[in-house]
Amino acid sequence: MKALRKWSRILHRDIGFFFIGTTILYGISGIALNHLSDWNANYSVEINEFKTELNLNNSPNVKENILVLLDKIDNSKNYKKHYYPNSNKLKIFLKGGSSVVVNTKNGYGRAEYLKRRFLIYQANYLHYNPNRLWTWFSDAFAAALILFAITSLFMLKGKKGIRGRGGIYTLLGIVIPILFLWYYI
Amino acid sequence: MMKKIVLMLAVIAAIISCKNETKKTEAVQKENEVAVVETPEILIGEFDAKAGDFVSKEVKIQGIVDHVCKHSGKKLLVVTDDGSIHVTSDVRFDDKIKGNEISLIGTVLENKIDESYCLKMEEDNIKSHSEGASNKEQFENKKKHIQQYRDAMKAENKEYISEYSLQYVSHSIVE
Repeated sequence: MKALRKWSRILHRDIGFFFIGTTILYGISGIALNHLSDWNANYSVEINEFKTELNLNNSPNVKENILVLLDKIDNSKNYKKHYYPNSNKLKIFLKGGSSVVVNTKNGYGRAEYLKRRFLIYQANYLHYNPNRLWTWFSDAFAAALILFAITSLFMLKGKKGIRGRGGIYTLLGIVIPILFLWYYI
Repeated sequence: MMKKIVLMLAVIAAIISCKNETKKTEAVQKENEVAVVETPEILIGEFDAKAGDFVSKEVKIQGIVDHVCKHSGKKLLVVTDDGSIHVTSDVRFDDKIKGNEISLIGTVLENKIDESYCLKMEEDNIKSHSEGASNKEQFENKKKHIQQYRDAMKAENKEYISEYSLQYVSHSIVE
């Protein structure tokens, strides 16, 4: 038992140090992605409303006027594509995911500029498992989480260990998800 | 005698192997013929009218990516001036694809919408709103959407209406 306790501490501590960065990264993106209905987790959105006198009705030469408009409100070099969702509405796509919508009848428009959220965008990118190499690394991280859970049972003895306060916390941590499942499924 | 039998067997073996070779060549040729069959292309504006003829078959479309699902990253809305198509995929799309014009191959999926489907949608809508998963605007929009389905069934005097979408196979960027 003494050896098990000793090794539990060593593994928990050293592997824990190794995965500190990954744990914080998954924690940040976990919270960000949990609230996708409430906010855009990858981009901050800046809105710019404007009015234009340019003729932006659907015609073969309209792209010229679109580029003039973009130079006024943004930069024509950011132009990607455009289309008309209906006869009065023009949507222009810009590089970087931003877009502009213009009412071609009255000239009122709204530009939506997207800016990547620093750190959260990158954390979300990794959380979504972008490639095979990251799959291996994140599998190792997941295995380490299981190891942390198991080793934590043996790290301490006495009142603060699994036979005391630690045991109550462990039970609570198991009962809460079970209660949740029981209620919702 | 023995020599003659061996010779005969050798000749038979040669003939059989030649025949197999010919069959193999024919099979490869057939495979190649299958491979060169072009995927039919449908204009997005004509998709709803024509998709019924291509259910479970692959078709090619071309349009601009208007939207990538921010939750899963596995749904696209591909648009042109004349209409739009929903595309679902097993793989995630990078949101950089938004605003690109793409040529996409996908398998046509048919979703039959009837009264029981509308009732299920209604139930899910109420549940997700009561749990705070959707806001008032989203709740009201879904309600309107369900009513549109019912109105369409009534207008066409049918027990169900078909909605078509694509299951993603591949795509390329159109410059």
